Amino acid sequence: MQQVFTKAMARNIFLGGAAFFLIIYLVLTYDTWQQIPVRDHADKMTPAVVAGRYLVDTNDCVGCHTINGEGAYFAPELDNVYKRRGAAFIKAWIRSQPTGVAGRRQMPHFNFSGQQLNDIVAYLKWLSNVDTNNWPPNIQG
Amino acid sequence: MENISDPPHALPGDFAIWVFIFAELTVFGVLFSAFAFARAAHVDLFNQSQLALNRGLGAANTLVLVTSSYFVARATRAIKDGRGLLCGHWLTGALGLGVVFLALKLFEFHQDYAHGITLSTNLFDMFYLSLTFFHFMHVLMGMAILAVVAYKAYAGRYGVEDHAGVETGGSYWHMVDLVWIILFALVYVIR
Amino acid sequence: MKYESQRVAKPYFIAALALFAGQIVFGLIAGFQYLDGTFLFPEIPFDVAHMSHTNLLIVWLLMAFMGAAYYIVPEEAQTELYSPKLALITFWVFLGAAVLTLFGYLFVPYSQLAAMTGDKLLPTMGRGYLEQPLPVKIGIVLVALSLLFNITMTLLKGRKTSLNLILIGALWGLALLFLPAFYFPIDTVKASYSWWWIVHGWVEGDWELILGALLGFILIKMTGVDREIVEKWLYVIIAMTLVTGIIGIGHHYYFIGAPRYWIWLGSIFSALEPIPFILLIAFAFKMLLRRRREHPNKAAMLWAMGTPIVAFLGAGLWGFMITLAPVQNYVHGTNLTAAHGHLAFFGAYAMVSLAIISYAMPLLRGREANSAAAQRWEMSGFWIMVISMIGITLALTGAGIVTAFLQRMGAHPLGFMQVQSKERVFFWLREFCGLCFFGGLVVYLRSFFMSGEYEYSDEAIRALAS
Repeated sequence: MQQVFTKAMARNIFLGGAAFFLIIYLVLTYDTWQQIPVRDHADKMTPAVVAGRYLVDTNDCVGCHTINGEGAYFAPELDNVYKRRGAAFIKAWIRSQPTGVAGRRQMPHFNFSGQQLNDIVAYLKWLSNVDTNNWPPNIQG
Repeated sequence: MENISDPPHALPGDFAIWVFIFAELTVFGVLFSAFAFARAAHVDLFNQSQLALNRGLGAANTLVLVTSSYFVARATRAIKDGRGLLCGHWLTGALGLGVVFLALKLFEFHQDYAHGITLSTNLFDMFYLSLTFFHFMHVLMGMAILAVVAYKAYAGRYGVEDHAGVETGGSYWHMVDLVWIILFALVYVIR
Repeated sequence: MKYESQRVAKPYFIAALALFAGQIVFGLIAGFQYLDGTFLFPEIPFDVAHMSHTNLLIVWLLMAFMGAAYYIVPEEAQTELYSPKLALITFWVFLGAAVLTLFGYLFVPYSQLAAMTGDKLLPTMGRGYLEQPLPVKIGIVLVALSLLFNITMTLLKGRKTSLNLILIGALWGLALLFLPAFYFPIDTVKASYSWWWIVHGWVEGDWELILGALLGFILIKMTGVDREIVEKWLYVIIAMTLVTGIIGIGHHYYFIGAPRYWIWLGSIFSALEPIPFILLIAFAFKMLLRRRREHPNKAAMLWAMGTPIVAFLGAGLWGFMITLAPVQNYVHGTNLTAAHGHLAFFGAYAMVSLAIISYAMPLLRGREANSAAAQRWEMSGFWIMVISMIGITLALTGAGIVTAFLQRMGAHPLGFMQVQSKERVFFWLREFCGLCFFGGLVVYLRSFFMSGEYEYSDEAIRALAS
């Protein structure tokens, strides 16, 4: 192939390539957006779930924990904690923090009301039912 | 401004265009390998789902693309003789066939969707749609390149000595054609 | 330094380094909390130390990028910066906001901070790297707009080089990609999906363009290689970045609730993401080999050559290790991710920032290069930091692998806390390397306080003799 590969050609490949893949990504995102509410049972997002989600955000839970593997790696995965521990344990656990055990990683004391704890549990329960392609691989998260 | 320390034939440009060709071949190679790998693990599913494909449309599209490649080859021959206008006409013909390909493919996608085939129905459908859509985008890209080349051919911007653009654009189109042939054989035909 | 207005880069660079030091202090705190979970609890809980560490990282890198832009754009455009005054005002606003935000994290409980700053109006708080209160996020946009206005106006009135176009274009992209920070859907899956537009879009997309542009500028200036060659390479590299990285974003979509096809598409395209990093190494070394002069700023050259190598190791190699879905299934959300993140961020973005500072600071202080003694301190700092960071990375890799085997695999997987307790040796190693890193940083910073400039006399004597 006779070739003079100019800077202009390289620039065009850059611009063309970027536009090309951006279009593909937009098409895939459109499809994904339709699929997500089905996969995560959006119809089960009750006001309690929404309220629980807001509490998780504004108390920066993922500053120590992970949700779907995203967050910090200081504390356990919360995606399947509802299945791993159950509502009663989760509420009791949060209420009893910090443990104060010497050297052990400490969780702050959050002054959640009973209603707020129920909301958080509702959110964690909803999370545990999202179709995450069989992740985590086991109950330990 | 030439870099004095460059040896005469080792232009950085040659290397750079090959980076892109390598990238294209790599990505399609990986996609086809992934398809083969997935097929090996789900032979029955793949054979079953393949039956829902419109092989007639696929074959027609193969014919369309191969013919368009022939037109592009004629266009290159024309410009080597310095005949810009004729080159432009052959390229326009190729573009016309490109439009036919896109139309047939879009019709096929429409049919697929009507039959409930989506990216999420099963693994075969995911591959079929991904591969053909990715190729579709390449046909679009190739047509954009051919259109620019055709315009320049008509405008008399190429000559007997200077027509690298026609060859480069033509090569890209031939690559797109070749990929389709492999795709058609792998996805539509082989059982 | 060719234009007076390039001076405004100096405060940005100084602030960048100060914030960098702050970042490491919080890193050491957070790292120590892995070993003694009661350290500084409850005054500075882990999540506060963690968000201070990550937010300081982002702010110091942005400061460095902005300083680089104010330095590079006028020189490339061959005209003075449109408004040095605006650049300085913006600097103080940005620095002030950063410090205020840090104080907010440290002295106000997060939920209270959210309540105080109107999070209920438009919730944006609670996501990683985006912990900033709403007003601060708005402030970041305004700071970015100020930068973009200034450098774009400068570009318009001057020479339009490819390098400048790429740099300024990438900075526009940086600002645009920050906007999803204001979009926080109720649906957690959609929230995760769109969060990556910022995070992946920045560090595995837009910022790679900035990396290329900064490195390209340094190489043009220091090697004397023809601009056309450098800029052509740059286009090739950034093209490969986007064609692999745009669909490569799918490697964040495997396990968050997105459809299954991302497992395939994300794996395939993200596996190719190391390619631009390989090209960066080839690019940097080819330019070095072709150089037409021996630039006296050896330290800057060291940073410039080291950057693509460490970037490849962290982003390319370590990234590849965790990118394929079958592997990620076992290592997702473990310290292996942190290992990759540390080496990649340091190699690709911290080092290129230190490279541009290394190149430009002497010029901003009136000389082509620092004294040989100062450069020796700086280069020692380079080596200590690079080796320490590799140590941190290896330590975290060990921890991540243990988690994969004990917690994610096997018939009787162990619980998180139990597995973490078995990884203490790795966390000790990490903290030790972190302390060494801090030492390297101190050595590096010391070089700035050594007076004197490069002694040309030996070279001049040799030149005269020949």
